[in-house]
Amino acid sequence: MKYVVKRLVQGVPIILAIVVINFFLLNMAEGDAVDVLAGEAGSATPEYMAELRKKFGLDQPLPVQLMVYLKNVVTLDLGYSFRHDMPVNELIFDRFSATALLMTSTIILAVGFGILLGLLAAMRLNTWKDAVITVFALITYATPLFWVGLMMIVVFSLQLGWFPTSGMENVAAFYEGWDRVVDIAHHLVLPTITLSLFYLALYTRMMRASMLEQYGQDYVVTARAKGLTERRITFVHVLRNALLPVVTMAGVQVGALIGGSVIVESVFAWPGLGMLAFESLFARDLNLLLGIFLLSSILVVAVNLIVDIIYCFLDPRIEVN
Amino acid sequence: MKKVFATMFMAGSLMVSAFAAKAENYGGTLSFLVQPEPPTLASYVSTSGPIGLVMPKIYEGLFDYDNDGKMIPILAESYSMSADGKTVTFKLRKGVEWHDGKPFTSADVKFTILEVLKKVHPRGPNSFREVSSIDTPDAHTAIFNLDNPAPYMMRSFSAYESPMVPKHLLEGQDVKSAPLANKPVGTGPFKFVEWKKGQYIRLDKNENYWQEGLPYLDRIVGRFIPDASTRTAAMENGEVLYAAYNAVPNIDAVRLKERDDIDVTTDGYSMINPMALIEFNTKEGPFVDPAIRRAISTAIDRRFMIDTIFFGYGKPATSALSSNFSATNLHAKMANYPERGDVDAANAILDKAGYAKDGNGVRMKATLDIIPYGEDWRRAGEYLKQAMGDIGIQLDLRYEDVPTWLKRVYHNYDFEMNVNYFYQLPDPVLGVHRHYGTNQIRQGTHFVNSSRYSNSTLDALLDSGSKEPDAAKRTATYKEIQTILANDMPVVNLFELEFLTVYNTKLKGAYGSAMGAYGSFREAYLD
Repeated sequence: MKYVVKRLVQGVPIILAIVVINFFLLNMAEGDAVDVLAGEAGSATPEYMAELRKKFGLDQPLPVQLMVYLKNVVTLDLGYSFRHDMPVNELIFDRFSATALLMTSTIILAVGFGILLGLLAAMRLNTWKDAVITVFALITYATPLFWVGLMMIVVFSLQLGWFPTSGMENVAAFYEGWDRVVDIAHHLVLPTITLSLFYLALYTRMMRASMLEQYGQDYVVTARAKGLTERRITFVHVLRNALLPVVTMAGVQVGALIGGSVIVESVFAWPGLGMLAFESLFARDLNLLLGIFLLSSILVVAVNLIVDIIYCFLDPRIEVN
Repeated sequence: MKKVFATMFMAGSLMVSAFAAKAENYGGTLSFLVQPEPPTLASYVSTSGPIGLVMPKIYEGLFDYDNDGKMIPILAESYSMSADGKTVTFKLRKGVEWHDGKPFTSADVKFTILEVLKKVHPRGPNSFREVSSIDTPDAHTAIFNLDNPAPYMMRSFSAYESPMVPKHLLEGQDVKSAPLANKPVGTGPFKFVEWKKGQYIRLDKNENYWQEGLPYLDRIVGRFIPDASTRTAAMENGEVLYAAYNAVPNIDAVRLKERDDIDVTTDGYSMINPMALIEFNTKEGPFVDPAIRRAISTAIDRRFMIDTIFFGYGKPATSALSSNFSATNLHAKMANYPERGDVDAANAILDKAGYAKDGNGVRMKATLDIIPYGEDWRRAGEYLKQAMGDIGIQLDLRYEDVPTWLKRVYHNYDFEMNVNYFYQLPDPVLGVHRHYGTNQIRQGTHFVNSSRYSNSTLDALLDSGSKEPDAAKRTATYKEIQTILANDMPVVNLFELEFLTVYNTKLKGAYGSAMGAYGSFREAYLD
């Protein structure tokens, strides 16, 4: 427990540093939110634009803007999105559930099946099963995400008609209660599979290699000498050790998942944070963008803490302090 | 009980007569594409395209326009103009209510025009610049007093261009930041229900709509799908039934057109009137000399651009004005606008003007900026690079993101030539003058005279063109304007864009208005 608190306290300066660096990086881009808003409106007077800048606080010098922003962040207020005319907190919260849903299902699918397939391939080394799994992993690893997404749509939505092409809910029906849950799950299938495939391949390959490495270790020889069954050796001894690198990788990649989901969210019109970040970059909606970055950095710090805790369960030799 | 029965009977008979007359069906949800997701829903502050797709279903204008340009009375029943053109009296419709139940009156019209559109709308200050005051002798009469005749004003009363907004929800507030922006209350056939960011906007039928028997649909849902291929797939699957403004790209539209259940139209864009063009920096850089600009216009194969890049949808430009202005007799065909491009003639112009080729056949080098609105424009830039190479102008292409590009062209004037497109709108005063007038050199304002072209003769002609009530005299004035511009060419028009609407044939009755997708859909129904 003490360890958890210590790690959390260490996380704070890291996150603040990320905020400051992001702030300056984003402000280096040409043009601001007012330019985009005025450009989209077709025409706007310079007076109107100056007035908007004043209202948004964009007329202040950068260090002042930064201080104002930091002050807000400390009080858990992420500011206001001028483009959406809504508080950033509200916008992010609204979209976070969609992202969380997609991410959780993807991680479960990718890590779960990755471990399973890797295990199977390692146990059936150099048989046709191993070959099929390895080739499958190689192909999915090498295929671009957006193309997989589009092919999924072509095959499963257009040709077979099993799943909807896009969106999160059926907008003609507007289901409620359990029907809505089922409807959302139905919409979730294709995006999850698409986003999982890449990571699934990665974890499969990693799991296979890691299993094989562990099989060659001295303790396996010892275990065999003790007369343990192969089954017990594989599942109790080798598996636990082989999981360590896979879990580490999964933890690091939670951050990357948000990035990878931009493509999947865009192809399937899934209303998540990735898409929101992408749009707000082009709209120069910096408050919103900073808010999303802040959230994802918190997420990465938190997930890495969880991964460290999982380590102790997998390998009691690792002590957390 | 008796009363209930009577109402039911009336409603029933109305429906029966409607069925008998045209066989329209009541009910159903129309799901259509809104691309990209709009920033807000304040159509009285922003004319941004996606806002225009949604809001005319909620807010109405005084008039609509049919495909022949004829005025259809909406919130106004009729109007009359005094002989000198300086007083316009509108008779407003009675019994119209806002979605919150308050009555719509002449006070709303006065407030909308003077306090909202004239002050905060991007184009309103121009459309209504001659309106000095509005008298409201009673709740259903609005008298516009003009300083000068304003013939173009009568073309800008559509729901998209000049939406009527409720005075009681804006008065005493900062119009630009009032909460009405994202919780609109209008008089239109559909009511705002919900906006799920990143997903959809939902509108439900207005049961108290002033036109009895309308609308037919129960619900309209505007969906946001960021990826173009997925938009096409959703259209193919019947998940969405209507996609305007090239939401389904031309390359897919020509394929979908072959299907029985999907059709394509170019109708519904004549009031928008988009024109693809090249803006030049006429103050500094390589294109200060009008002869070079004439040579460029002469060398471009407009037909090739339309057929190859835009799949045949478009018309070659023949002057500074779109041929859609032929309806009001303002368009005239001009020299220096060949359809197929004439490289020899262009080279001759440049030789004569004294721009010699060097050993590599290069006369000059320049950078071409490209409007960052998608692949089609990028390809247009690539074509231009090649075509200009033929006449010894070596181009580098530059493609940036929207804010950077806007800043470069309209704030810093840091460009040499720029591919762009402008809406010419239903009258040159509204859409074309902003490109050429000296008073339109407004640094920091987007989509105005970025060429910084200034010609006092032209300024005088533009001024008289906007005030001349006599149609024949106006025709003559605009002919002169076009002649000057065809010679000086601060802007070279490329072609009149034809946007595509892809629609499922199940959807009927959505095509009667010249506003197309920016229309109200009050007569749309599902077959």
